[in-house]
Amino acid sequence: MRWSDVKSGLLDFWGEFRRVKSGMVGLVLLVLFVGVVLAEPYIIPYSEAGTRWRDITYWEDRPEGVPPAWLFRGLPPTQTISNYAISEEVIGDVLLYEMVFSYDHRYDGAPQDLIFECEAIRKEPLMLSLSLQRPDDRTVDLLRKEVPPGVSRIRIPISKDEDAKNAAYQFALEYDENVRSDTIKTCEVLFTEARPSTPALRGTYALTAAFILSQDDRIEDARIVLPGKVSGLLGTDGQKRDIWSGIVVGLKWALLIGLLTAAVSVAVGVVYGVMSAYLGGWKDALMQRVYEIFVSIPLLPILIVMSAVFRPSVWVMITMMCIFFWVGPVKTVRSMGLQIKEETYIEASRGIGASDARIIFKHMVPLLIPYAFASMALNVPMAIVYESSISLLGLGDATIVTWGQILHDGFTGGAVLRNLWWWILPPGLAIAIVSMSFAFIGFAMDAILNPKLRTR
Amino acid sequence: MYWKYCVTRICSGIVIFVIIVFIFSALFNTVAEETARGQIAETLKAEMSGLRGLSHEELLHYRETRYETMYHQYHLDRPLGERIIWRAIDSLTLNFGKSTMIKSRAQSDNVWTIVSECIPPTVLLFTTAIAIDILIGLWLGLKKAQRAGGIMDKGTSIGTMVVYGMPSWWLGMIMIMLFAYVIKIFPSGGLYSTPRPSGIAFVGDVLYHMALPVITLVIIGFWARAYLTRNIVLGVLQDDYIMAARARGIPERGVLYGHTLRTAAPPIVTMALLSLIVSFGGNIIFEGVFSWPGMGNLYWVAIQQNDVPVLMGNLIVTTALYIAGLVILDLIYGFLDPRIKVGGRR
Repeated sequence: MRWSDVKSGLLDFWGEFRRVKSGMVGLVLLVLFVGVVLAEPYIIPYSEAGTRWRDITYWEDRPEGVPPAWLFRGLPPTQTISNYAISEEVIGDVLLYEMVFSYDHRYDGAPQDLIFECEAIRKEPLMLSLSLQRPDDRTVDLLRKEVPPGVSRIRIPISKDEDAKNAAYQFALEYDENVRSDTIKTCEVLFTEARPSTPALRGTYALTAAFILSQDDRIEDARIVLPGKVSGLLGTDGQKRDIWSGIVVGLKWALLIGLLTAAVSVAVGVVYGVMSAYLGGWKDALMQRVYEIFVSIPLLPILIVMSAVFRPSVWVMITMMCIFFWVGPVKTVRSMGLQIKEETYIEASRGIGASDARIIFKHMVPLLIPYAFASMALNVPMAIVYESSISLLGLGDATIVTWGQILHDGFTGGAVLRNLWWWILPPGLAIAIVSMSFAFIGFAMDAILNPKLRTR
Repeated sequence: MYWKYCVTRICSGIVIFVIIVFIFSALFNTVAEETARGQIAETLKAEMSGLRGLSHEELLHYRETRYETMYHQYHLDRPLGERIIWRAIDSLTLNFGKSTMIKSRAQSDNVWTIVSECIPPTVLLFTTAIAIDILIGLWLGLKKAQRAGGIMDKGTSIGTMVVYGMPSWWLGMIMIMLFAYVIKIFPSGGLYSTPRPSGIAFVGDVLYHMALPVITLVIIGFWARAYLTRNIVLGVLQDDYIMAARARGIPERGVLYGHTLRTAAPPIVTMALLSLIVSFGGNIIFEGVFSWPGMGNLYWVAIQQNDVPVLMGNLIVTTALYIAGLVILDLIYGFLDPRIKVGGRR
């Protein structure tokens, strides 16, 4: 069989394939996925999501476990304010340095947190105090603290600060005597009408950060961040990570794991099956016994135990899956091979002295290429699902982001219990949709290859 | 000679199992031995702290001899090849050793006791689900084959492809979220309620706890069953004798249930049983989501507790059940399809 024969065979196959609607839908989706992978840097808001997924500092300014922004339009998104008014006053040999950030609150809910950040360039310890002026002209003195020398980056999340919490508690007491200091949430008091479950207080807030510095010290890059109640396209998870970025980054790994595993294992299986059929005799018998041993091993359990024991990287995981997946096409390919073997042209080429390898690879394997493609398409979802099942158990490669790992974090992070559906639903749907498009392609090829199944 | 076929198939199943156990014990030799050494060291530490009134030399001597006897007992003083063989023999005689953390319900640390406790819930869950699954799948598949190419057939075929790669455990999470936390009509997991009811109430309680996992498995499973049934039936419908039956004026129902199903039954039964086995192997960790105390859940627990002996024992028992299932499947297939018995090989 020459290359041009293979080519025309594939073209015929393509001609039939393009008439199957579901197959074409699958193909279009596949092209779309490849497009998404290529456009990844342009469509994820956090460009380093793939490499710094487990780096807490990368995500620290995000809100924790909040729903997608497009669902709740009234709730505040995350805002960063880096414009501020400065006033300086020299008193003796110290400098009183004040920055005023003004923030216009126009949303239904209070922000999740209020974070003050700045760089301090100095030799002496400095005094810092924060106070918040509300639209109802009341001012809450949040905290006053001494920052030791040597710390250059100052980051104060108000909701985690005990002084601020206490200040908020005292403030809330004036409105309601029944508030409890152990359950109070600082920002829920500061940005609402100060009684429990009252609406947000809209208007302009002013956060004043006052420093007492020595004269040649400087404060730079100051800003406040207000992590909101909603975030991005798909919300954030319990570790403040952007789920949309995780899903997009996970796509390339899902495609890589699925396609590579399917391609290698099906290729091995097809060659193995054809060899077994062609060689016959004791070689066939031996190869069949080896095959029987491999099919008798339950796939998922052995993969789980191997992952638990060897803690594989993604590449080792793909290799492991290939070791057990190749048995898939063997049985069908062997029976097809037994038929092809009896064709006269095989006998003819053996007659003119062609080697076994030449007959197998040149005359038998090319005939099975369409079947191999169908089989590959149906193997891709299997590889993706198995990898996510292993990752669900927490045995995934910790240097990459896969959908199974997001689901693992969600499941162990109590997403089911807390009803954080945007953490659980998208990764699983992504697995299902990618698998579905490969199933569309595979089933369409299957229908072409089995003419008996054609509908009347 | 059906019995001859049975004997060969069962023997080959046993031989395959023995070979696989050998492969496992070679593959996991290092980690299994590390655990065994750790366990010996721990036992010895406990023994030593119980000793009183011995001099330093005597203690050292005691330690040395105890170490030697225990290493000998666990065959750790033998060369590598022999150790692997010993471990395989231990596994084949269900002697998986002691767990490091996990205890059975009766507080035993024998791995076989722990694993064997988990078999009934798993078998109960998966057989129930597959039975319902097959009934729905068979019915739907016949309907699809009857009107192949129709809207219903095409629609359900698309359904098959949509759930093709949907992880059952993910659907399980969604179902729990929906039907256990948002609409509180099902329990979120477990085999029975905590004050364990007795008598007939216990059966009802188990069924109530089983409902959500079974529904999830059926929703994922029956599509593929229907699609395969359709393909098998459609293949048979193309045969000449069906055309002849139709030509004789036999009503379509008679053709379908009388003629087609008679021929299609063996592959359909095989396919159904095979799906039970594959579902057992592939969906097993699904139990963890529902905290269903079966073998799949045991994998979760063993991994969390890093309990290597339980993990190994569970793997070997799972493999044994899997192979037993494959053997039974072949026996049933041979019984249903007379062509198999004669040849004895496929």
